[in-house]
Amino acid sequence: MANLSLQHIDKIYDNNVQAVFDFNLEVQDGEFIVLVGPSGCGKSTTLRMVAGLEDISKGRLLLDGKDITQMPPKDRDMAMVFQNYALYGHMTIYENMAFSLTLRKEDPNVIHKKVLAAAEILGLTPQLNKKPGQLSGGQRQRVAMGRSIVRNPKVFLFDEPLSNLDAKLRSSTRREVLLLHKRLNATMLYVTHDQTEALTLADRIVCMSMGRVQQVGTPLELYDTPANLFVASFIGLPPMNFFDVHVDSDALVHPAFRLPIDGQMRQTLEHYFGKQITLGVRPENISEGGDIPIDVSANENLGMNTLVHGHIGQGADAVKVSAKLRGWCDYKAGDAVKVKFDRLHFFNKETTNAIR
Amino acid sequence: MANSGEEQAIRRDRLRFTKNKSAANCAILAIVFDVLYFISIYKSDAGSWYYSLLIGMSVVYNLIFMLVAFLVSEGSKNYLVQYSYVIAVVGILQFVRIGILPARAHAAVLETAEGMVPVMGDAQFARVAFYLAASGICCLASAFLGVTKCRQLAEAEKAAAMTVSNSEITS
Repeated sequence: MANLSLQHIDKIYDNNVQAVFDFNLEVQDGEFIVLVGPSGCGKSTTLRMVAGLEDISKGRLLLDGKDITQMPPKDRDMAMVFQNYALYGHMTIYENMAFSLTLRKEDPNVIHKKVLAAAEILGLTPQLNKKPGQLSGGQRQRVAMGRSIVRNPKVFLFDEPLSNLDAKLRSSTRREVLLLHKRLNATMLYVTHDQTEALTLADRIVCMSMGRVQQVGTPLELYDTPANLFVASFIGLPPMNFFDVHVDSDALVHPAFRLPIDGQMRQTLEHYFGKQITLGVRPENISEGGDIPIDVSANENLGMNTLVHGHIGQGADAVKVSAKLRGWCDYKAGDAVKVKFDRLHFFNKETTNAIR
Repeated sequence: MANSGEEQAIRRDRLRFTKNKSAANCAILAIVFDVLYFISIYKSDAGSWYYSLLIGMSVVYNLIFMLVAFLVSEGSKNYLVQYSYVIAVVGILQFVRIGILPARAHAAVLETAEGMVPVMGDAQFARVAFYLAASGICCLASAFLGVTKCRQLAEAEKAAAMTVSNSEITS
């Protein structure tokens, strides 16, 4: 059992800079929560507060109902995996993994069993006699995870653990983290700025910006129904395209296109007739065959899809657009492609919140 | 009984991932006692009795002993059994050394203004003999631990290899 509750947590540094504003989150036992956001959004600070490495300025942190806000890190029964692995270079992998238990003066035979079990889970058994310097980045990160596993903590904390790995290793290690979670069914808090990691790993994602929580939800909720412009632009690769449009009685009007308003859309936008709103369209929701012209500036073939970059509109009204078109296309700079929008998202221009 | 058997097996299996620190530490302790021995013997002020080929050889042997014992400590740490045999021989030689320089110095007398004075008194002889004997015992202990743990490690590796091959067969 490890239910974690973060209640109205603020982080204010000594120089009065506030890094985290009123953070609230209920983490259920066995849940995999990913904190995602751009650099400096307060996600690592939040994780460090949970670990006890940073003081909580305001608010309460509860673990299984017990207030641990002021508890020292060593007593919290949490294990943290760092981006830079934090392994001891002069110790073997076995010694690194056993170290925390050795410090606790556990029975060496028990330590041995735990280390072998963790190494088996992570596929590190053949590496146990090696030193960290002899391992690849992915293997080192697995050792760091193994060091956490042997402690059998209530909560696992990961601070951008895959950031130091190359793309291929990152992908395979990501899968290992996912398998590890399924195998241990432990409560995990994972910080990343990589939305792919967030979408693939999380049971729920906490999207943060400027120290504030923007949206908490399942990966599909964040992708499909973003709460505001920030979440819409942050989740999804390439990011969502945005257009300022005027809501007429029968159409959304942009200098370069008109989109007729149908029944469902009319209901959604009933309070916005005669006003400007922001229209969002994901690149993958753009397809060939409509009447909206994109002036192509670059064409990237990805195999199954082609990423077309260009702009819609002319002069001051021109808006940069990325479209993920199906199949292999060979457009050249200067070509005009007629497209249509398959799915639309609407945002209030003033509040930036989604219109639903 | 089953539990203690399992514990024994785990203890043995641990050797696969840990250094043989006890054997290595015994070898280092042997060096420490040897140093105490030669500090104790070379500080003697007994006229020119010590100025001989024997003391020169003693100095050279002490240097060799320290080098060998240090190398053995490193070798034993990594379960290299041949180093254990070397330290066993060196350990026996430490006992033999008691009968060479200390015994001769203990038996010799020096003529001074005050009369005949022993080169090495009983107390000093007992001390240096103890240091050499302690050094020798440490060497033999290192050798014993080295050989024993190397055998245990070999058994553990055999057992681990059998476990791997069994699991391969099962899978």
